[in-house]
Amino acid sequence: MSNINFNKNSVMAIGVLLVMGIFPLFVDSAWLAIGTTFLVFAVVAFSQDIILGRAGVFHMGHAMFFGLGAYTTAVLNVHFGWPILATWAPAVLVPLVVALLLAGPIIHLRGDYLLVATIGFNIIFIQVLQNNIFGITGGPNGIFGIDVVRVFGVELFEQTHMYYMAFILLGITLFIMKNLDQSKFGRAMFYINKDDVAAQSMGISIRYYKLYAFALGAGIAGAAGSMFAVQYSAVSPEAFDVISSIMFFTIVLVGGSASLPGVLLGTFVMFVLPEVFREFETARYLVFGLAMILTMILRPRGIWPVKFGNIPAFLKKDVK
Amino acid sequence: MSEYLLEVKNVSKFFYGLKAIDALSMKVKKGQIYGIIGPNGAGKTTLFNCITGIYTPEEGQILWMGKEIKGTAPHKIAELGILRTFQTIRLFSEMSVAENIMSGRHIKSKQKWYNGIIHTPAYYKDERENWEKVGELMEFFKLSQYATTPAGDLSYGVQRKIEMARALAAEPELLILDEPAAGLNENETLELAHTIKEIQKMGVTIMMIEHDMEMVMSLTEYITVINFGAKISEGVPAFVQDDPIVIEAYIGIDDEDES
Amino acid sequence: MDIFLQQLVNGLTIGSLYALVALGYTMVYGVMKLINFAHGDLVALSAFVGLTVYTQIFGEGVSSLIAIIVVFVFTAAIIAFVGVLLERLAYRPLRTAPRLSAVVSALGAGLVIQNTIMLMWGPNMKIFPSNLFPQTLWDFGGVVMTFTQVMILGLSSVLMVALFLFINKTKMGTAIRATAIDQDAAKLMGINVNRIIMVIFIIGSALGAVAGLFIGIYYRGITFDMGWLYGLNAFVAAIMGGIGNIPGAMLGGLMLGLFNAMITGYISTQWAETFTFILLIVILIFRPTGILGEKVAEKV
Repeated sequence: MSNINFNKNSVMAIGVLLVMGIFPLFVDSAWLAIGTTFLVFAVVAFSQDIILGRAGVFHMGHAMFFGLGAYTTAVLNVHFGWPILATWAPAVLVPLVVALLLAGPIIHLRGDYLLVATIGFNIIFIQVLQNNIFGITGGPNGIFGIDVVRVFGVELFEQTHMYYMAFILLGITLFIMKNLDQSKFGRAMFYINKDDVAAQSMGISIRYYKLYAFALGAGIAGAAGSMFAVQYSAVSPEAFDVISSIMFFTIVLVGGSASLPGVLLGTFVMFVLPEVFREFETARYLVFGLAMILTMILRPRGIWPVKFGNIPAFLKKDVK
Repeated sequence: MSEYLLEVKNVSKFFYGLKAIDALSMKVKKGQIYGIIGPNGAGKTTLFNCITGIYTPEEGQILWMGKEIKGTAPHKIAELGILRTFQTIRLFSEMSVAENIMSGRHIKSKQKWYNGIIHTPAYYKDERENWEKVGELMEFFKLSQYATTPAGDLSYGVQRKIEMARALAAEPELLILDEPAAGLNENETLELAHTIKEIQKMGVTIMMIEHDMEMVMSLTEYITVINFGAKISEGVPAFVQDDPIVIEAYIGIDDEDES
Repeated sequence: MDIFLQQLVNGLTIGSLYALVALGYTMVYGVMKLINFAHGDLVALSAFVGLTVYTQIFGEGVSSLIAIIVVFVFTAAIIAFVGVLLERLAYRPLRTAPRLSAVVSALGAGLVIQNTIMLMWGPNMKIFPSNLFPQTLWDFGGVVMTFTQVMILGLSSVLMVALFLFINKTKMGTAIRATAIDQDAAKLMGINVNRIIMVIFIIGSALGAVAGLFIGIYYRGITFDMGWLYGLNAFVAAIMGGIGNIPGAMLGGLMLGLFNAMITGYISTQWAETFTFILLIVILIFRPTGILGEKVAEKV
């Protein structure tokens, strides 16, 4: 069915994946950890993009779903002794269900009102974690001593293992994003985003597709959270606060809403570059802020904006 | 089953206490081309918005094949087979023409919720069928050459065609056209009239608001005239055209579309 | 009862500060449909600028009416200038861009201001001198009210009434309201939209500056990143009242201040933010555009 045509973009995509694939062979453990976190953050950014870039929902609380996944794995593993593998499904499902329950009553709100409501959920989530609710979240310190992944008696404890697990997760995420884009669900999100009145008049339920985006986005973020918890073998609230949410929000817009290369690039620019310039400790974020302003002025739709027109080849035969 | 496809019964719609539509009634038969005319601001578009669920009228009934649909959400109205175009064109302007038309296939697509994540053989079949339908419509409206062009980059006349193609893609029972000829040149208007006739032949009932009198009179089978939200006349084109009340309502109105 | 009255006083005080900051958010939103995320950081900047103005011009320990006036006017002028600069550099180039681009620019501008404060005044907490205002306090049968609180309540009331009159009774105010409703139409009517936006930023930033100074004087400890906290609360207040609506911002600010004070007084400080946002979400569920926000009917 799908005939792979080797155009410029596919070649580039394969190139980037190759570089990411062999990256661990050339770097020290500090950079390997950064690389792993980059992959995890990219997954979160893509899941944020489903909600923000595709469905067009002004959602600024995404770190919460990321955190819910991480804490689900941490709590089930540390307090209930579940093996990590067994926590994966709940780490996806818990954020997914919470997203539906929370977004349900507010999904009809207009953009900016919804934005504040989602910030609110994130802040409540952090306060719940910090106040050590039911005595299982570990308060401000979080939860330590999360196990490693064991498959058939093999322990995946090395940084390289972590990296490749995150790499596979990113691969799965990209696979889902691609499938989403080429389905009625992904398209419906775009239609709602671009003109909600027209979309409704075409029979598209705004509520259904916004919630679909939330559920899918939260589920993927939860999977990333689980990976994050395993990578650091610990979780604590501050990794999932509103500041992180703002970062994911910004990654999508700086990179390019709904653009796969854009969001990957955005993650690189917003997360890896600051790591590179670590030595300029103090002035770093000043420059960073200036760069955000400048990027938006020069590239209002992001560094690598989305390109539409991805239609089957047989429809292009008359295009001049 | 009612003998009428759509019945509007004593519908009134208020904005901030002002009556935008005043106890309006009309009956549309299956297969008809039904015209709605009246001066600017008479409430014609408001009526369409009430029928398509964007507004909920405060009073009256709207019956679709005999069943009340007042207050039904716009996307459910579309699922019933009532599709529309907009007076102020509302396309997904950054998206390609083909993708725009594909939005009309939404309600016909049989993809399951999990097809947004993983594709199945049934998905491929469905996807293929829907794109083929889009291809047919692009051919019908002579849009094939623009398949990958962003809709917003095209001329007004072409955009109007895309809007019609998009609505038609949903295989509507009733197609509602809000000033389809507005902004078109003479040739484009002629082409449009022809297209509308063709659509009627497909078995689609059409309701249209139009200012181009020549087109309305030649195309429609029945007309309702609205002024200040209320019906002032109705009948076949020949009758409405000579109705003194209608003539009076139009006197002194400098209709730009006529000049 | 004493707790109640005391928390009422405290709540109105902090509520007035929220209201002053919320006005900056709401005015900018009203005209530009932009959440000015850098506004909170302007408020923080004001506290630091005020600190420097005070200690450099008068030296610590001086308390006089002239000192108060000079510190307030001078600081407000500087912050207003920064606000105008912010609009020129970070927002104006994005006026026709997608709405969220300007939001990212605002977030970036917030980072810039925050880190400028950190580079200029250092990362550690600074203590605002205690003696700009006299340390007088009054005890009404157990309910204590400080001079600072009286000043906060008094001055913010005056400023809010003045703003209300300015918006509703002057020609410029009418032009601002017209621009808020329809920028293009306002332009056609000969209103200089750029000037309106400048005025909005001057007023909004100056009000924020006053709030920032009061925050310094009232709480004493000021940090480079405190703008986020005050900004967020004020922003929530503006949303509760109905963003874009000026009386809404005042109402929202006072309401949130009182609500916060009652929660911390009677229930817990640990869950204060949770209660704030639960209140917000409940309000939005029942009034999707805030308490005084108008329902926007989209023209189809």
